[in-house]
Amino acid sequence: MAQASVLEIPDLTLDGLLATPAGRELLSCIQCGTCAGTCPYGDFMRYTPRRLIGMLREGFIEEVLSTDDLLTCVTCYDCWAKCPRGLRLTDVLLPAVKEQVLLRLPEVPAELQSALANTMRYGNPMGESPRKRAAWVESAGVPVPILRDLGRPVDVLWIVECYTAYYPRGQDNARATARILHALGVDFAILGNEEKCVGECARLVGEKGLFDTLREQNAATYAKYEFGSLLTCDPHAFDALAYVYPALGLSRPVDHTTPFVAARLDALRPLLTKDLGYKITYHDSCVLGRHNHMHDEPRRILDALPGVSLVEMTHNRDNTICCGGGGGGMWLDTFYKAKGYPRLSDRRVEEALATGADVLAVSCPYEVPRFEDSLKVLGGDDRMVVRDVMELVAEALAD
Amino acid sequence: MSADTNGQPRIGVYVCHCGTNIAATVDVEAVAEYAAGLPGVTVSKTYKYMCSDPGQELIKEDILANQLDRVIVAACSPSLHEATFRRATAAGGINPYYFHMVSIRELDSWVHTDIVEATAKAKDLIRAAIHRVRFHKPLERARVNVNPAVMVVGGGIAGIHAALTLANAGKKVYLVEREPSIGGHMAQFDKTFPTLDCAACILTPKMTEVGQHPNITLWTMAEVDKVDGYVGNYQVTVRHKPRFIIEEACVGCMECIEVCVFRRGKTPDEFNLGLNMRKPVYIPFPQAVPQVVVIDQDACIEFRTGRCKKTCVEVCAERNAIDFTQTETFDTVEVGAIVVATGFKTFDPRRTPSYGYGVYPNVYTAMEIERLVNASGPTEGHVTLRDGRTPETVGIVHCVGSRDVNTNEHCSRVCCMYSLKLAHLVKEKTGAEIYNFYIDIRAPGKGMEEFYNRVAEEGVHFIRGKVADVYPEAGNTGRVVLQAEDTLLGRVRKIPVDMVVLATGLEAQADADEVRRTFNITCGGGGFFMERHPKLAPVSTFTDGIFLAGCCQGPKDIPDTVAQAGAAAAEALALVDKGFVEMEPNTAYVVTEECSGCKTCIPLCPYTAISRVDGKAYINPVLCKGCGTCVAACPSGSIRQNLFEDEEIYEEILGVLANA
Repeated sequence: MAQASVLEIPDLTLDGLLATPAGRELLSCIQCGTCAGTCPYGDFMRYTPRRLIGMLREGFIEEVLSTDDLLTCVTCYDCWAKCPRGLRLTDVLLPAVKEQVLLRLPEVPAELQSALANTMRYGNPMGESPRKRAAWVESAGVPVPILRDLGRPVDVLWIVECYTAYYPRGQDNARATARILHALGVDFAILGNEEKCVGECARLVGEKGLFDTLREQNAATYAKYEFGSLLTCDPHAFDALAYVYPALGLSRPVDHTTPFVAARLDALRPLLTKDLGYKITYHDSCVLGRHNHMHDEPRRILDALPGVSLVEMTHNRDNTICCGGGGGGMWLDTFYKAKGYPRLSDRRVEEALATGADVLAVSCPYEVPRFEDSLKVLGGDDRMVVRDVMELVAEALAD
Repeated sequence: MSADTNGQPRIGVYVCHCGTNIAATVDVEAVAEYAAGLPGVTVSKTYKYMCSDPGQELIKEDILANQLDRVIVAACSPSLHEATFRRATAAGGINPYYFHMVSIRELDSWVHTDIVEATAKAKDLIRAAIHRVRFHKPLERARVNVNPAVMVVGGGIAGIHAALTLANAGKKVYLVEREPSIGGHMAQFDKTFPTLDCAACILTPKMTEVGQHPNITLWTMAEVDKVDGYVGNYQVTVRHKPRFIIEEACVGCMECIEVCVFRRGKTPDEFNLGLNMRKPVYIPFPQAVPQVVVIDQDACIEFRTGRCKKTCVEVCAERNAIDFTQTETFDTVEVGAIVVATGFKTFDPRRTPSYGYGVYPNVYTAMEIERLVNASGPTEGHVTLRDGRTPETVGIVHCVGSRDVNTNEHCSRVCCMYSLKLAHLVKEKTGAEIYNFYIDIRAPGKGMEEFYNRVAEEGVHFIRGKVADVYPEAGNTGRVVLQAEDTLLGRVRKIPVDMVVLATGLEAQADADEVRRTFNITCGGGGFFMERHPKLAPVSTFTDGIFLAGCCQGPKDIPDTVAQAGAAAAEALALVDKGFVEMEPNTAYVVTEECSGCKTCIPLCPYTAISRVDGKAYINPVLCKGCGTCVAACPSGSIRQNLFEDEEIYEEILGVLANA
């Protein structure tokens, strides 16, 4: 089974490939087309990952880089997981290619441009005020200490991340997580307004420069404090913190809220007293699920909730399908729509509705708005709601 | 030690060029010149190929002309040519163990690039040999008689062919098979590619011949439990699992199956891969050899409750072949050689969940389709879906569990061809549209490419792309969609089909590692057993007298399997027919007067060669393989080893480090 990691190919030429181990691996591509066949936008790509490698090996890469084809990559890790040669497509080749595509693009799609500019300027893609980053804390219902105010080391530094801190439905996740951490008696704090976007999506969309800036700033912030481990509700941030940040000397254990809670389920179970009466289908996110193979953890949690039954969608676990939000996809909806591409979240929600479940459970903050939109578009919002696993756990907690 | 008048040995040193293999990286002339100046060296020469006839002649002539009493050849590796040069040394009239070989190819020229350093290393290695060789003693090879019987393990086509070849040569053969019948995977196939011979028609006569052959003792439901002894004289213990049928009494009338209190079978029929059910008393398939029924202990009511009416026993009253009291028994037999032909298992496609095997009912493995197209299969040869419908569209997915780092890296060699065969057979029987999804069509070998052409001309579709996803078609049609990039057309295809055939690859048997240990052989990539040399000793193993045949050594088709089985039988025959083997003299021995009888060495010996005789350790030179474990472990230093005497090793170290 493929393992998560981060490597780089600095030079997109045959010589460049020969110069790095990850690059040399790409030369072993057998052009089987698994990547294109499994890619959620494979139907629409002229230069699928397979052709991209073929062109790259034979010196025709410039032709590929001058199209915007590769902006359809939503870093779902499907080609990475299924490639019979184990090639590092999603985490190595595609970001390197996308970086070059962005450089050559006469005009970066406006929505993406503004998300990246906002992230640079305000530390979040929505362009919200950095000073409002911790505003949700007031409505948390439990104390959420800010590390700077606390003035002492904590066990767990919780990186709330942008969608969970700012977006109203994301804040539901933040409040739920705060309640759970309290119920578990975890010694935690957040960075408050000092926190900035971790930047994983900037990296995977090809804005490595922006990612590096954020990584340096964040690493400097984290270095100011003493804490035992990092916790985040965003799988993309989890990846960056676990696999990319360590190169800059950040070597703390990193956890995502779902596996974090799953590991403490025995302590939590006596507190889960409210009967929910839900039929739930769980969507494995590309990053937490396929990339990190954390499939059992969310299911164990959901299984522990009173009055809950679980049903599976056609595509599940490592074979999950993408919501379309990763790797910058969150900010390319307009671009895809203008090209006439389908919304990937619609396909996922159709599968979810087919199960007859009344809750679509998720573990990634991107999925809540995407799936809720799709439910409205498909007319399923009267039959199904979208909930983060944390929201469901908090709901089952005694008041 | 023989020596000249000064007490010095007379050593001949020969440095081989090995073409450019050595000479391109080691300055062989400089090395020979250097050696010529070392004490005891009488002759020092280079030659282009020392292993050639003139090269060997050179050694022989120099021994005679210069009264050499020691010979050193610096060339390739001892495993390749030590025997060659020992023969040349003996031809010159001196004991072959006065020869010593230095590897300056594998250990030097092939692993270094700097000529100066590689040359210096060659000099060091030769100097070490010059130091050691003066202490060499004359040794003799012991002869041991060989038991002429051979054991063949595994009763698939490989084991069957090897057993028959040996038996027809007049040798006693024990054929051990763990299933209730011989026949293996081949017995399950319908037709064989590329000629479309009926598998049963060509296999059954051979199976029957095995069953009736006066020289073959056939043990089914049996496994090798333990192998003791050594080349030419193995003692093999075989475990017989209870069949609950007295084989000699059963005539295979199958009336017991008829009258079994189970009116219908409830146990998945192993031979038909669970596509139908069988009763607790059954015969694996109509052509089974031996034609003897078997009782499945887990399914039989008598075993579960002890209160069965035992209608089977009633109907068999005359022959009285049913015996519920049978237990495991053991037999130990002596054989001179063993042919391991334990076969393969097919890949379990549940390990690749995106293909939906076990999720969607009409996703099948290729072996299941073999049984469906087979006239004696569960549907009498009608290719039908699980609901009884005939498929109109069929997708065949190649490379399932092959050529994939997530499962098996190797190509399973047979899947392309059996997929073409199944495409042909299914099309012939159903008229369905057939789609082959492939990465590369591998059709080497006689008649294979021609068969590919034939199937293509029949209108079978070939889509060059590995299937990436399998999911149900929208609208509850019962079909599944196969999604793959058609890499030749450059577009993603989504083809709905009624039936999916997964061309699952071949893997090593699940217990290959245990079997490997039992026979003291090695496993290579993918867990398949390792041959001694991939080209020049393809059916031998690193254990003398143990040979390999068939897919246990790696995936292969029936023609290759039979050819290899014939080769393994011939190698075994060459060994047992000769009647004796010569043992290498590099064995350990006890200096009895120094041995304290502490027994430290006895349990350490991997070959159980050491016993205690009159309070002292005794090493059986026939069993000893010269591994040196006891030599190193002996607290009193009273165990020595030929060719590895202390002074030989110490001098070699002194020699190699002399300039360090």
